[in-house]
Amino acid sequence: MNTLPAGQYRPGDSPLHRLDARIKMLCFLLLMTTVLRASSLWGYTLALAAVLAFLRLSRLPLRAAVAPIRGLGWFLLAVFLMNALFFPGEDILAAGKFFHPTQSGIKQGFRVTANVLFLLILGNLLTMTTLPTQVTAALLSLLQPLRLLGVPTGEVAMIISLALQFIPALMEETELIKMAQLARGARFDSKKLPERAVSYLPLVVPVFIAAFRRAEALALAMEARGYRNAENRTKSPKEPLRPQDYAALTVCTLIFLVQFFLPR
Amino acid sequence: MSKLSSVQRSLITAVCIGLCVVLPIMFHSIPNAGTVISPMHIPVLLSGLVCGWSFGLLCGLAGPLLSSLLTGMPPLVYLPSMLVELATYGLVCGLMFNLIFTKKLYADLYLSLVTALLAGRIVAGLAKAFLFTPGNYTWAAWITSYFITLWPGLVIQLTLVPAIVAALLKAKLIPPRYPRK
Repeated sequence: MNTLPAGQYRPGDSPLHRLDARIKMLCFLLLMTTVLRASSLWGYTLALAAVLAFLRLSRLPLRAAVAPIRGLGWFLLAVFLMNALFFPGEDILAAGKFFHPTQSGIKQGFRVTANVLFLLILGNLLTMTTLPTQVTAALLSLLQPLRLLGVPTGEVAMIISLALQFIPALMEETELIKMAQLARGARFDSKKLPERAVSYLPLVVPVFIAAFRRAEALALAMEARGYRNAENRTKSPKEPLRPQDYAALTVCTLIFLVQFFLPR
Repeated sequence: MSKLSSVQRSLITAVCIGLCVVLPIMFHSIPNAGTVISPMHIPVLLSGLVCGWSFGLLCGLAGPLLSSLLTGMPPLVYLPSMLVELATYGLVCGLMFNLIFTKKLYADLYLSLVTALLAGRIVAGLAKAFLFTPGNYTWAAWITSYFITLWPGLVIQLTLVPAIVAALLKAKLIPPRYPRK
């Protein structure tokens, strides 16, 4: 409960850690689109090469970088088999009473499994090499065009950054309430799943009450100090982009374009 | 407390977004809890009810996005459809609660919740059918994934959200909808 299951930031000094968070988010969006756009063997080879290159650039231990897919082995195998055995198609490889594996089914299973694997690794790399505060600042910067539509981006960024700061406090609060419930005889470790699920439900209302109390206390403190809205706040100046940021964006755009123009 | 100020609404939305990250971690030890119990839906619905449609919409978009980025729940592959579903919950819940005034708090709550839960499921189904997996999504898959598999989540949301609102009212953390004269 005190640690995030996967994707938690790991301090480092790799090229991926040093990349500007705005550019990193754009690069990852381009790479994710590259993965989703892949449909041929060449397309998947390109996506795999890009993922491996980013994995190497992150200098993260392989075990940590692929952590989110470790528990999904059986799930991914089931997804692959479901597609391979039941996907409708003309190119039947072996006709059985219940199963009819087709060539297009095997291809579809491979596509779905590869997409899930690549996207999970990319998402994990992004969060493991970027501080949550940098993610917020990058989001605010990337949301700027929405101001033209009247979206109060300053307010949105303030809410998101406060939410990020609330998370550790809320986790602590939840842990305290859980301990209190344990003392009252709750069975969080019961082997019977329904019993375990039911023992968690009484935690929800106190957690919300505690969270709303925190929100009220902070709102009072902010209003007492004259805070009215986020639009008039002073902001730290944006860091200028460096040549390596432009280079990374160019490379990712090129990868995306190559994928886009590869025959499907 | 007469009415929530803009700062209070912002902070309540911030804690609801925080809870979108914390609640799935809390239920993490129960296999498939994220899918079946859907703990992330509760703060989004509550944010729409308490703070209004715009804050509900923001919570529905930012909650799953932050949770996915920080904890990997939901995985990025399922994120787009969850974003659509939860954003609709927050938006419709807030809109309906602002429009419906039956003079009975629980009637207002249940009408808003049921409409939002239905609208979210319909919009997410349409998004899957026409945007995310065009041609591969069927009626049977929609009914199975949103109503049969998720019925415990529906029951839990319809039970817990009004209970949380009642508890918040009792603790005077939100203003009463129909103040006693």
